Amino acid sequence: MHGLLLWPDRPALSLLVLWAVSQLLLYAARVPMHRVLRKLGTALGGAFRLAARWLRSAAEELRRRNREVLLESGRADAETRLEREFQRLATTFTADLKAYPALHRRLDESVKRVEEDLAASSLTPPTAPGWPEAVQAVASIPKAGDRTVQKVLDEIHRSAQVQEKKALQEWREAVAKRHGILAASAARWKVVHGLLEQVNRTVSGVLAASGRIDGYMDTYQKIQRGENAAERVLAVSAIELFVVSLFVVAVAGFGGFVNFQLIARPMSELVPGGAWVLGMPVSTIAALVIVLMEVAAGIFVMETLGVTHLFPRIGALSPSRRRVIFGVALAGLFLLASIEASLAILREQLLEADKALALALAGESARGAVTVAAPLLSRIPTIGQAVMGFVLPWILAMIAVPLEMLVQSGRHVIGRALVLVLQGGSGFLRIVGHVARQALGALVHAYDIWIIVPLQAERLARGRGDADRNELGPATLRNPAEQTAPSFRAPR
Amino acid sequence: MRPLAQAAAAAALLAAGCTDAHAHARAVCVLVDVSGTYADQRHEVIRVVKSGLLPHLRPGDSLVVIRVGDHGYTKDSVVATATLDDQPSHANAQKMELAGKLDRFAAADLRERHTDLSGAILLAAEYLRASHAGRKSMVVFSDMLEELPRGAQRTLGPGELAGVDVVALNVKRLAADQNDPAAYRRRLDGWGVRLAAAKAASWTVVLDPSDLASRLEEP
Repeated sequence: MHGLLLWPDRPALSLLVLWAVSQLLLYAARVPMHRVLRKLGTALGGAFRLAARWLRSAAEELRRRNREVLLESGRADAETRLEREFQRLATTFTADLKAYPALHRRLDESVKRVEEDLAASSLTPPTAPGWPEAVQAVASIPKAGDRTVQKVLDEIHRSAQVQEKKALQEWREAVAKRHGILAASAARWKVVHGLLEQVNRTVSGVLAASGRIDGYMDTYQKIQRGENAAERVLAVSAIELFVVSLFVVAVAGFGGFVNFQLIARPMSELVPGGAWVLGMPVSTIAALVIVLMEVAAGIFVMETLGVTHLFPRIGALSPSRRRVIFGVALAGLFLLASIEASLAILREQLLEADKALALALAGESARGAVTVAAPLLSRIPTIGQAVMGFVLPWILAMIAVPLEMLVQSGRHVIGRALVLVLQGGSGFLRIVGHVARQALGALVHAYDIWIIVPLQAERLARGRGDADRNELGPATLRNPAEQTAPSFRAPR
Repeated sequence: MRPLAQAAAAAALLAAGCTDAHAHARAVCVLVDVSGTYADQRHEVIRVVKSGLLPHLRPGDSLVVIRVGDHGYTKDSVVATATLDDQPSHANAQKMELAGKLDRFAAADLRERHTDLSGAILLAAEYLRASHAGRKSMVVFSDMLEELPRGAQRTLGPGELAGVDVVALNVKRLAADQNDPAAYRRRLDGWGVRLAAAKAASWTVVLDPSDLASRLEEP
């Protein structure tokens, strides 16, 4: 600032002269300067608008592709589910229909037997003869005085009583027989009931499966039609899947880290190398490779089992070849788990050796020996580490499933995030363009404010000149600044 | 052809990522004053080196222990030197061996008249340069009062200690320092100026020996 002063010892005069010179120069350059600022505003605003439009169209294109991918993956998923449901239904139907002739025969036989039993039990039992009335009639005959007649009558009475008892006995036996037939028939009713329940269960299962198939078909048709509702459902499902699988993969990652820590130290003993790769010693790389190999073996096991479909070529292999790969991967995993268990044991021994060394160097070996834990307790960490070393690889092998889910859903989630970023960028550039245009417009006004004195002088001079020319009086003068103010287009 | 080019690019990247172990190794030179009043501190110094420095050395690291006496710039001043094996268990065995040498050094009857500190620093600087270690440190156990033998010329050239972190530990205060503590501080400041002129990476005076390992670990 001090250097700008023409006469440093007289700053006020210097500033006044500078101001006057600036007024003259800026007034003279006013029109071209306005043009420059106007053009600059248009250029900047246009450039930002173009960039915003490009980002918006890119976002739209990406959104369209995401939609296509999402619908396609949803369609494939629905097809898989439908196929699986049909297969299940076919399996159930085959098994049930296979058993149906036998079921029908058993049901028919049971019904026939029940009918026979009913027929047998409906036969009229021998009616009990009217012996009671006869006995009563004989008994009510007045006793005659004749002894012979009396004797005959007594004999008749006795005989009637015997016959009555016999008839009653026969009748009771016939009723008991019918009851027996009916009792035996109850078991057959139960068989029939059981068979009918079996049929009911099968039919209910078929109905439930058909209901599920209807639902899947409905979803499938919505996806086929490309309905927005179907897309929204698929998007929400993909985001949920992404979050859950990300969490599981993160947990597995921590498991992998623990696994790595377990074998890093003993690996430095087994792979002592001077070289470093990417800022890590070779032994660390070796430990990392073992952990990654466990993950790879786990992925192969899951692929060959058909749980995941990360490698289509493995899925397309014949079952026998897949079995071979499964066996090799499983054996590899077992081998790696065993190696890790042994390394974990070695780790504990090495740590103890390090501790002993530190104590020896500090001259405290005697005290260190005294504080050593009891043998049983000291083995617990070793056993624990060995178990961890053996179990962790198997748990890590399971990472294939969430990994596949993460890859599948991540494609959509990342695409969606990119769309949001592009849309946000587009909006931001539009705002920046608008602000740039308005700022340059304001700069034009600020320019005129700075040279307000010559402008007002010009206005007065023009007013007088116009008044001289116009008999009606001075014309309504517009502010020159307004005349040259840039006329920017309103932002779209 | 294209896969070949890709493989070559991958190999080149891997090669670029591979570095020599020396670049990650650490070399430490310990200078132990055996002259004058500091000779009595030898047991304590060796205890600090054994418990505070040796356990923290990693496979591939180097350690040189140099005696500071009448003739600092001779190979005879080297008490012990070792570069630890890449295999941790072998490195531990080397540490035990080093500890034995240091114990023998501590037990020896040594008391010299002069303190050729500059000569010992020059010798240590040569060992550190020869190690090609990525990190070089020099730990000085002395009262930092130099008393050169007659006729000895010692100059720390510019760049002599380039990249070397110098740590003075357990700097003993002399009887004269009790009368004038400023003399003690001037002595240390003087060494700071000399070491800075020799382009030492840093110059630190550590009071607590237990801080030694953490000081050496500092980036």
